[in-house]
Order: sequence, then C-alpha cells, then structure tokens
Amino acid sequence: LVLVRSPLPRLRALLQRCWGRLERGLWPSVFGGQSSPWGPALAVQGPTLIPQGINDAEAPSLLESVVWMAAPKQRRTIEVNRCRRRNPNKLIEIKRNIDVCPECGNLKQKHVLCGYCYAKVKEETRLIRMEIYKKEGGPFNTPTVETVVLYEGEKPTEKDKGKRIIERARKRPSWFVQN
Amino acid sequence: MRLSVAAAISHGRVYRRFGLSPRSRLDLLRNLVTALVRYERIETPWARADEMRGYAERLIDYAKRGDKDERAMRMADFWLTEKDLVHKLFKVLAPRFQPHPGSYTRLLQIPNRDGLDRAKMAVIELKGNPLPPLVRPRRDSDKTLLNQLLKGYRQDAQRAAAA
Repeated sequence: LVLVRSPLPRLRALLQRCWGRLERGLWPSVFGGQSSPWGPALAVQGPTLIPQGINDAEAPSLLESVVWMAAPKQRRTIEVNRCRRRNPNKLIEIKRNIDVCPECGNLKQKHVLCGYCYAKVKEETRLIRMEIYKKEGGPFNTPTVETVVLYEGEKPTEKDKGKRIIERARKRPSWFVQN
Repeated sequence: MRLSVAAAISHGRVYRRFGLSPRSRLDLLRNLVTALVRYERIETPWARADEMRGYAERLIDYAKRGDKDERAMRMADFWLTEKDLVHKLFKVLAPRFQPHPGSYTRLLQIPNRDGLDRAKMAVIELKGNPLPPLVRPRRDSDKTLLNQLLKGYRQDAQRAAAA
C-alpha cells in the first residue's frame, strides 16, 4: 500500500473516494474476499489534472510595486532661497594677494611673475634664440662652451674669454644687467 | 578587518601620474629634461616642471662625477635623447655647477595659460644661464627707517674720520 500525498486537493479527494470504494468492496479486491475479484468493471479515465495558476501572484497590486521617492513638500520661499544662495560659503572668495608690480605698474599676484615683464623677457629670449640658431646653422650643433649675449657697442670683457659671443643688434635694455 | 588596500587612497605617494603609463611618464619627463639642457629655460605646466626638477638636478649631480664614470655616462645617455647635449652636460653644465652643492634650477610660476584649460604654468631655468633674468633682485628703498639710520651712521663715521 502506498500513501500518496498529493499537493492538489482535487486529486487527493479523488484518491480518497477511490480508497473508500475499495474498502467498501465496490471494486473487487483481495481484501476480505466477499465479492469475486476482478469482476467486470468499467475502465474510466480519471480526470486530468486541472491546471491551476502556477504563480498565484501574477501582478502585485499597485500599492506594493511602487518605489517611494523623496519630493519636496512645500515651495521654498524666496527668503529661504536667498539665505541659502547668499551664504558666505557659496560666494566667490575675494583674493587678497594682488599687488602692483614695482617695475611696470601692472597688477600681479604676489607669488606669480608679472605678466607684462615676463612677456618682455620672453620676447627678448626668443630673439636671442633666433640669433643662436643662425649662428649654429643647423639642428644638434650645441657647442661645448658657455654663451654670452652682447648688445650694440659692447666688447667682450675678461670674464667672457672662451665663451661663444651672440650679437644682438640693439641697445642693451635697462633690465638686462651685464655681469 | 580590512585585508586589502581601498582604491583611491594614495597616502605617501611622491610621484605624480603623467601620460598613458609609467613608461610614458618617464618619456615625457625625459623630453622635458632634454629641452631644459638644450634651451636652459622652458615654460611648461607647473606639475610637470616640479616633477622634472628632481630628475634634472640628480642628472647634474651624476654629471659632476665626470664623464669617465660609467654610471654617469649611462644616465646621461638615457636621459638626454639628443646626443650632442651629453657633451654640453659634461663640459659646460658640470663645471658651471661645480662650486654649488645643490639646487641648480629655479622654478617660478607665471600667469595661467591663455588657452581654454587655463593651466597653472611655470618657467624652469638653470641658474647661471646667459638669457635675460626673469626676476630682478630688489634692494630696499633708501627711505626705510633702517636704511636712513645706517646712512646717518656712515656719515658720522666719515665726519669723524675726516676730522
């Protein structure tokens, strides 16, 4: 005898009914032996499994599926907005490190070179480098001696012995002091 | 208990990251060192100049050993991509910096770059170069209190010596 524990209630009811009939002797069995075994009987096809929903929960109701998100409850008033926007930590910091360049009078930051003076020096450096390039003739001809720059009307001094002379065709600028 | 290093913590790292890879970073710095030795004054972003400064000064320290030194020559050969600069390094820069114990370069900040990125730029130069000076050393004005007192003292000393 096999105990069938079926998860479906309909099948379980059917089996119980079958078992009850069996015990009452409606269907001949070896039990008791009152009626003849294996008498004529009608073969009935049992009812097929009635399909029930595999997933009972098809679609969750709207109240369970929505994700709760934050949203402002009230409009922020202009006074509150002004307090937030004009708070000192939101304003641009004022710079207190701006000075006047003593050479040219332009504004400069204290830890940075003056833009005007640097542009002057950069231009003069560019012209000196052009002279150097003309003197060297081609690329990769760096000499193995020091260089000195002389302006119009200047002669090489005692210290400039053994150095390569670069001539610049203009008066010496006041800010370029000869060593 | 934390068993691994968390990402995005870099406490104590001294080297900045440049370029595409560590090798690319070294190539970038090598180009800058070559340019500095060639032109003696270059203008680059401040971070690159700061990073390059250490390498350039150590290269000059190696060059001070003299060109007979095997390690010095190998260093110069790696760091200077243009080989005529190796001669300049050993024959011009090493004698120039022989009396100095260190700090052969000067790093100064210049106004931010004009382009869209407004990068922080710097100019790095070797000391003792023949180019025009970037910053003129300013002496204090004669009108300051200390200078006026010193001037009075000098005049008194001259008068005492004359009399």
